[in-house]
Amino acid sequence: MTKPTDLLQGTLDLLILKTIALEAAHGWAIAQRIRQVSNNVLQVNQGALYPALHRLEQQGWIQAEWGESENNRRAKFYALTKAGKKYLGREEANWERLSAAIGLVLKTAQG
Amino acid sequence: MRWTQIIPLRVRSLFRRGAVDRELEHEMRFHIEQQTAVNIAKGMTAKDARDAAMREFGGVEQYKEECRDMRQTNWIQDFVQDVRFGTRVLLKSPAFAFVAIFTLALGIGANTAIFSVIDAELLRSLPVSDPQTLVLLEWNAKKDPNHLSSSSYGDCSHVPGAGNSNGCSLSEPLFREIQSQTNAFSNLAAFCGGGELNLSGNGTATTVDSVEYVSGNYFETLGIRPESGRLISSADDTLTASPVAVISYGYWKNQFAGSPSVIGKSITLNRVPFTIIGVAEPRFDALSPGRIIQIWMPLSAQRQLDVPWDNRDADPNYWWLVMVGRMKPGVSRSQTQAAVSAIFLNDVIHGAKPQFKAEDNPNISLVPAQAGLTGDTTDMAVPLYVMMLAVGVVLLIACANVAGLLLSRATARQKEMAVRVALGARRGRVVRQLLTESLLLSIAGGALGIFFAQWVIAAIGAFVAANQEGPSPLNPHIDSRVLLFTAGVSILTGFLFGLAPALRGASTDLTPALKEASGGTPSGRPAARWFTIRNTLVVAQVALTVVVLAGAGLLVRTLQSLRNVDPGFDTRNLVTFRIDPISAGYKKAEVDRFYDNLHDRLAAIPGVTSVSYSWVPLLSGGLWTTGFHMEGEPKDKSEEADLFPTGMDFFRTVKIPFRLGREFNSTDFQTAERNQEIEAAQEALIAASKKNGATGLAEQVNKETASMSPLPAIVNEALVRKYFPNKNPIGIRFGSRVADADEPYASPGWLIVGVVADARYDSLRREVNPTIYQPFTGRGATFTLRTAANPSNFVPQIRSVVAQIDANLPVNRIKTESQQIDSQLFAERLIARLSGFFGLLALLLACIGLYGLLAFEVARRTREIGIRMALGARAEDVLRLVVGQGLALALVGAAIGIGTALGVTRFLSSMLFGVKPADPVTFVGVALCLTFVALLACYIPARRAMRVDPMVALRYE
Repeated sequence: MTKPTDLLQGTLDLLILKTIALEAAHGWAIAQRIRQVSNNVLQVNQGALYPALHRLEQQGWIQAEWGESENNRRAKFYALTKAGKKYLGREEANWERLSAAIGLVLKTAQG
Repeated sequence: MRWTQIIPLRVRSLFRRGAVDRELEHEMRFHIEQQTAVNIAKGMTAKDARDAAMREFGGVEQYKEECRDMRQTNWIQDFVQDVRFGTRVLLKSPAFAFVAIFTLALGIGANTAIFSVIDAELLRSLPVSDPQTLVLLEWNAKKDPNHLSSSSYGDCSHVPGAGNSNGCSLSEPLFREIQSQTNAFSNLAAFCGGGELNLSGNGTATTVDSVEYVSGNYFETLGIRPESGRLISSADDTLTASPVAVISYGYWKNQFAGSPSVIGKSITLNRVPFTIIGVAEPRFDALSPGRIIQIWMPLSAQRQLDVPWDNRDADPNYWWLVMVGRMKPGVSRSQTQAAVSAIFLNDVIHGAKPQFKAEDNPNISLVPAQAGLTGDTTDMAVPLYVMMLAVGVVLLIACANVAGLLLSRATARQKEMAVRVALGARRGRVVRQLLTESLLLSIAGGALGIFFAQWVIAAIGAFVAANQEGPSPLNPHIDSRVLLFTAGVSILTGFLFGLAPALRGASTDLTPALKEASGGTPSGRPAARWFTIRNTLVVAQVALTVVVLAGAGLLVRTLQSLRNVDPGFDTRNLVTFRIDPISAGYKKAEVDRFYDNLHDRLAAIPGVTSVSYSWVPLLSGGLWTTGFHMEGEPKDKSEEADLFPTGMDFFRTVKIPFRLGREFNSTDFQTAERNQEIEAAQEALIAASKKNGATGLAEQVNKETASMSPLPAIVNEALVRKYFPNKNPIGIRFGSRVADADEPYASPGWLIVGVVADARYDSLRREVNPTIYQPFTGRGATFTLRTAANPSNFVPQIRSVVAQIDANLPVNRIKTESQQIDSQLFAERLIARLSGFFGLLALLLACIGLYGLLAFEVARRTREIGIRMALGARAEDVLRLVVGQGLALALVGAAIGIGTALGVTRFLSSMLFGVKPADPVTFVGVALCLTFVALLACYIPARRAMRVDPMVALRYE
């Protein structure tokens, strides 16, 4: 099973968490926002979002609530939990360290 | 925090699965509709918009499944599903399921039972508080002590002998001395067992079999609390205190119906009134393992009860007390040990009569009480450990059996597995499914095993109870820890032996497995491959079975040879019982008249042909040996013979044939009586002289002895052969001794009046020693009646005859001689039965294994057999093909097994009697039996093979 954009699992998690950090969103909105914010670079195969959401929910980083969508339809909204906020903080720091390190390696290799 | 959120989620996804799935469905539908709406807004047609949305989303069902996986409760759902499916699969092959479950149940049950018994008997922690700080005082020296009288009630094992002698009986003066002189222990207590007592004052007179005399601080030292009332205290342990007794919880329940009014109740023990002051807490039935005490009394009660050796309490040369100390916190064991050893050393080297010299290195070591107090379990330890090995082997065989079955099954199901994998099942799931199946098997086997274990334990318990005097120490119940352990073993077995076939099943290479017919083809795999796992398993099973069977055979043969021992007298139609008039308050002078009276009345019972009495019954384990001096030998050379006091007509009654001379007559008994009186006077003299140190004691003793006549004796042929070969022994006097300053004891010796044939005395195992029979005078006696018919029928009459003379006189240990022998052979019978049972079990399991393998092979090779028959093979050839393979495996297994058994059985030698560890009869028997049974196991599948119809077989699959 090949996925069009093979995102690392941890990366997808991070993106989801970051996306809903400001306000709760439903699955479709999350997918849209990830695409828009990344200027269409990150193409999440939209269905793949749901297992990730499920996993994050089961791990207690996010929680879901049913609410009204913009067009007045019932939709499941996901929001960060307290633990999820801390987790996001940690993961962001990790990510930055990692990307900085990779950047450094790439630069050094070039130079 | 986080968990408060997670747990309800998991629970919800487990139990509200439908709702959760519907929500997911809704969520995804919403997503696609949103996207469709956006696409329509971009100008697509409704259909295109939806298709694009779907495309962008990806496989809905696949993501749903992935979501379910994310919930992490899937494994439970899968498990439930697997269990359901597994049960269905197992029910579809009931024969396989039955055999596997049954096999596991036998293996697990046998182990649970034996380990429970071992745990209860040998590994039980002492029922006291803080058992680890309780120590036993054990003396050690390079040789046996001199000038010593000692009593042991078997609380610890005593190893006499040169080089290294030890024991745990010590004197009361030493006990008092250690108590007063050291503060090394926070508490030091002493106790000793005691003989049976007559109990009256609580319904009909009965006998208390199991009593213990304890120092006043005994219960305090052990940390035992009363269930009711109070326990013995130091104030009770003085001669002036009024006699008190504490009863055990079990005795309270059984004899006093658990009545609270028992506290303060007065009971009469041997005519001395005792007050029951309390009941001990339920967990404490005895300190030493393997026994159950009924009544505890203070040490001082022994004098109050006038038990035979009541003067031992002040005698430093009488060692009879077992001491246990409670270690003081912060004081090391070696410090305490040094302090105690110093006191002991001083006493035994510099006492009035030193028991040791300094070079004997006498010392006291402090042994953990848990390890040192072996109690009645000492004799059972080796047999129980042998049984443990046997059941361990049975479990191995059972596991091998189940492993073989599972392997065969996995092979048979290769195609099924291949189909599943081909249809997209992940290998992990297939493995899990197979593991679940084997787990189901082991759980079912384990559950059934509990019942089997219960049955075995109950059987052992009943057997022990039926063969033991007094309360049975064996608690027939399954130990929960043992159960957990065996349950663990059973599940592990399931995993281990389920895993190999499961991995094999899962790694199936799809194409050939699907293509190949379920049976092997003659062109495919070679027909007979010898080194397969399944063959190895069967060979191992057979070999292990041979080991167990050989051991069992030897133990059964041991019992047989013990049963075949000619005891030298006629054991049929004899009934014996014990009676102790002195304990019941008779004066010494009245006892002989009482015995005569009882003798005459018993003899008058119709059907009783002869009556006599003796100090103990024959073959009851009771033994009395005496040292004596032979004339003409160096003065310090001592001879030893067995001594057996009998009443009149004893030899006629038990039918020990006379070789020469005569039975005892009434003059002989008068002589014995008179000698005993003089001896009592002598002892008083010696005791008095110890106090005031009179000189000339030896002369006085010798003078007294001169007035004694030699004791009339009937000796056995062994004694004549040893000491008077080629002589007419009648009229010979021997064994007399004069007193001297060192040893103020004298003896008039014996005068031989008769010679009888050799007969066993205390046990069937022990060879006949030179034996002296002398006229019985004294306290309790065992009456022996020869009857014309079944002796058990006479029991009620005997009881009523005794009751007519004195209703307060209990009749004890009433048994026929065959029962006597049975209870003597108790351990051997138990072991022979258990090992025989486990041997047969092993045989049965190995048979099932062999049968299973061959049945499977025949099924696998049906096509091959069909082709062979089509090509002209006759039924005999097919028979040979199948039986040949089975028999070959059985023979290889048997050969390995016999080799192993030859190496192993010598460890049994201490338990054997009349057979050598390499007994050819046993080994040939086992081999024959195994071959025969193996043939049977081969025959059934072989018959099926012979009936293969070539046409059907060739069309088969």
